[in-house]
Amino acid sequence: MRLTRRELLAGAAATAVAGTSIYELVDRLGSAPARSAASRFPQEQHVLDGLRVVRDDGVEVIVPPLHHRIVTAELRVNDDRQSLVAARDQLADVLAQLEAGRDPTPAGLGLTVAWGLPYFERYVPQLADEHIPDDMRASRERGKRVKALLHSMRFPSDPDSVLLEGNDVAFLLRSDDRNTVEDATQALLALDVLEPTSVRAGFAGGGFDGGMSLPKKMALAAKIPGADLVPPTSELFLGFTSTQKAGLGPTRIANLETLGYTNARHGYFDGGTHMALSHIFEDLEGWYLTFDFRERVDTTFKPGMKARRGAQTVRQGAKQVASLAEVRHDFERSGTIGHSASIQTTSRLLEDVRGTDGVLYRKGTAIPHRADFNTLDNPFAWSARPDIDKLTPEPSAGVHFVVFNPTSDDFRRNRLAMDGVLPDGTRLPFQRGARGQGLNSVLETTHRQNFLVPPRRHRSFPLVDLIT
Amino acid sequence: MKRLAPFAALAAVVAIAAGCSGVDAAKRADAAAAKPSCPASWRAGWQRLANRIDAPVYCPAWVPSPLDAKIGGRWSTGASASKDRSYLAGFIWFERGSGEVHINLRGYPGHSAIPGCREDEQAGGKRIRKTIPCFSDPQRAKQIGPYKVTLYTVNRDADQWHLLYAWRRRGSLYTVSEHVAPPFSHTRVLQNLDRMMRNLVLVSPKG
Repeated sequence: MRLTRRELLAGAAATAVAGTSIYELVDRLGSAPARSAASRFPQEQHVLDGLRVVRDDGVEVIVPPLHHRIVTAELRVNDDRQSLVAARDQLADVLAQLEAGRDPTPAGLGLTVAWGLPYFERYVPQLADEHIPDDMRASRERGKRVKALLHSMRFPSDPDSVLLEGNDVAFLLRSDDRNTVEDATQALLALDVLEPTSVRAGFAGGGFDGGMSLPKKMALAAKIPGADLVPPTSELFLGFTSTQKAGLGPTRIANLETLGYTNARHGYFDGGTHMALSHIFEDLEGWYLTFDFRERVDTTFKPGMKARRGAQTVRQGAKQVASLAEVRHDFERSGTIGHSASIQTTSRLLEDVRGTDGVLYRKGTAIPHRADFNTLDNPFAWSARPDIDKLTPEPSAGVHFVVFNPTSDDFRRNRLAMDGVLPDGTRLPFQRGARGQGLNSVLETTHRQNFLVPPRRHRSFPLVDLIT
Repeated sequence: MKRLAPFAALAAVVAIAAGCSGVDAAKRADAAAAKPSCPASWRAGWQRLANRIDAPVYCPAWVPSPLDAKIGGRWSTGASASKDRSYLAGFIWFERGSGEVHINLRGYPGHSAIPGCREDEQAGGKRIRKTIPCFSDPQRAKQIGPYKVTLYTVNRDADQWHLLYAWRRRGSLYTVSEHVAPPFSHTRVLQNLDRMMRNLVLVSPKG
C-alpha cells in the first residue's frame, strides 16, 4: 500500500508523540490539583474556566493546567466551496467529539483553534478582507488601514535565524490529564484535511503546595544544564511565577472587541482574539550562574524592586506598574531595564476603561492573557521539516510562548517594549543580548507566528460559511 | 552568551562589607589540612607564592583530571598577586569541541569580606560603572572536613560561570572554584570541589 505524504506525516507525528516522550514523566512527577467545574462553554475559545487560585507570598496565583500540546498544520483541502464546507464539517465534528463530556477546564480539556494569515489569504481572501476586524488604534496612528491580524515580524532581540512561520492553523490543547491531550492530539493528526507541520509539548505547575515543582523535576530528569540551580518550587524554569492573577489579563479583556481596539463588535469575529505563538530557548546556566538573585529581580521586574531573598512570586499589581519615565530613568541610571516594567508601559491600561462587555477595567490592569508553558522540546516534539526547524532529540529548556492580545499590533507594542522600544518612540540603545536586558540575554527565539482565534461558533474554517 | 572564563583577568577588587559563613576553627583546619600532602613538584610554586605575599596559601593536593596544580606548569594560567597581597592561581585545560576544566584558587590575606568587582554597563553613550560582589547568591554553608564553606553560585571576573567555595581562616578569605562546563556537570563540579577541599594543604611563608 502506498501512503500519501499526508498519511506519512500524520503517521510519523502520531508515532513520535504517542506516549513515548519524556513528557510521560509529567504524570509521574506531578499531581493534578483539585479543580472546580465549569457550567458551559464560553464563546471565547481562549477562556479556560475552573482555574484554581492559590496564594504565594501573599499574592494570588492562578494554577495552570499540567499538560499542554500545540499541533500546527497546513490544510489539504481544495479551495472550492464544497471541499471547504466538507472540511469544516469534518473538523467541527472532531472538535465536538473531543469536548463531549468534558468541561472547558483543566480537569476537562481546553481547546483553542487559531488560524494563520496563510489560511485567510489562500482560501477566503475577500471575506477575510471584509470581516477580519481593523485595528482602529494602529490604523489611526499609521494613517492607513491596519488589520487585527498581521504577519509576525522579527524583533530587535530576535536572532537572524528566527523562523517566521506560515501555518494555516494551530490547535492549543490544555488539560491536567495527559491522556486527554494525547487523545486530542491523535484525533487531530488523524484528520485527512490537515497536513501536520509540528507538534509541540510542555507542562506547567508550580510547587505552590510546598513540594518540588514540575519544571524542576522535569529539568533534573532530563539532565538539563543548570537544572540543579532552578529553585525547587519554581513554577517556571527561570525561577519566577508568571501566572499571578494581577499580571494576567482578565479573561475577556483580550477579546478583539472588549477595549475597542478593533471594530469587531457585533461582527463575525466578536468574541474572538489574537494569539501570538513562539518558541524560545532558555539558557538556564546563563541565567543562574551569571545573574545573581538581585540582578534577576532587577531585570525580570524592575531595577531596585523590593523582593524577599529567594522570592519567586513578586507582586505585580496595578500599584507596581512602571511608568515610561521610570523605565527611562532606570536605564539612564543603571543601564538596565526590567522585563516586566518595560512591557508594562504598553501592556497595562493607562486609564479606567469600560469594556464592551460592561466590565470596568481599572487603570493598571494587564491586557495580555498569557498561556505559555515550559517545554523540553528542541525546538518541537515533532516536525514535518526537521532540517528547517533544526529538530534535535536532545531535550532543551525553553518555553512555548502563547499569549492572547486584542490584535497583532498590540502584541507588537508589548514585544518591542520588552526590547527597549517604548511606546513614545524612545529606543533605548541596547545591543542584542545586552546584559542590561537581563532576561532577554538568556532567551533565544526560534519560531514565531500570529494567529486569529475566532469565537467558538466560527472556530472551524472561519468565513467558509459565508462563501456563496 | 560567553562561556569561556576570562581566566587571564585578575579583578580589581575593593573590600565591601558582606556577610558570609562564620570563622572556622583555625586549629582544626590546620590539623586536617596537614593530612594530605602537596606533591613535591607542585610545592615549590606554592611555596614561592606564599613567600611572595607573605601569607599562607592552599595547595590543592588533588585537582580534577587532566589538570595538575603546578604553578607555571602545563595547565597553569599563572599565579598573580595584587598590591593588597590577594592572589589568584588558575589552571585550565581547554579543547575545542571537547570542553574545559578550569579551576581557580584565591586568597585575600587580612581581608575576610567578600571583595567587590567592577562592572561596566553601557547606557546609550554613557558608561555606568558599578561595584558588585565578586561572589554572590550564597547557598547554605556546610562543613567539609575542617572547613566551613559557603557555596556561591554567581561569580565574576575569572570565576564567572564557576561554582565557588569560600571559607575563612584567621581573618583571611580563601576560595576555590571550578567552571561548570562540559565535560563536567553541576553535580560533578560540586563533587570535584568537595574533593579539592578535602585535599587542601596549607603552605605557610618561609624566611
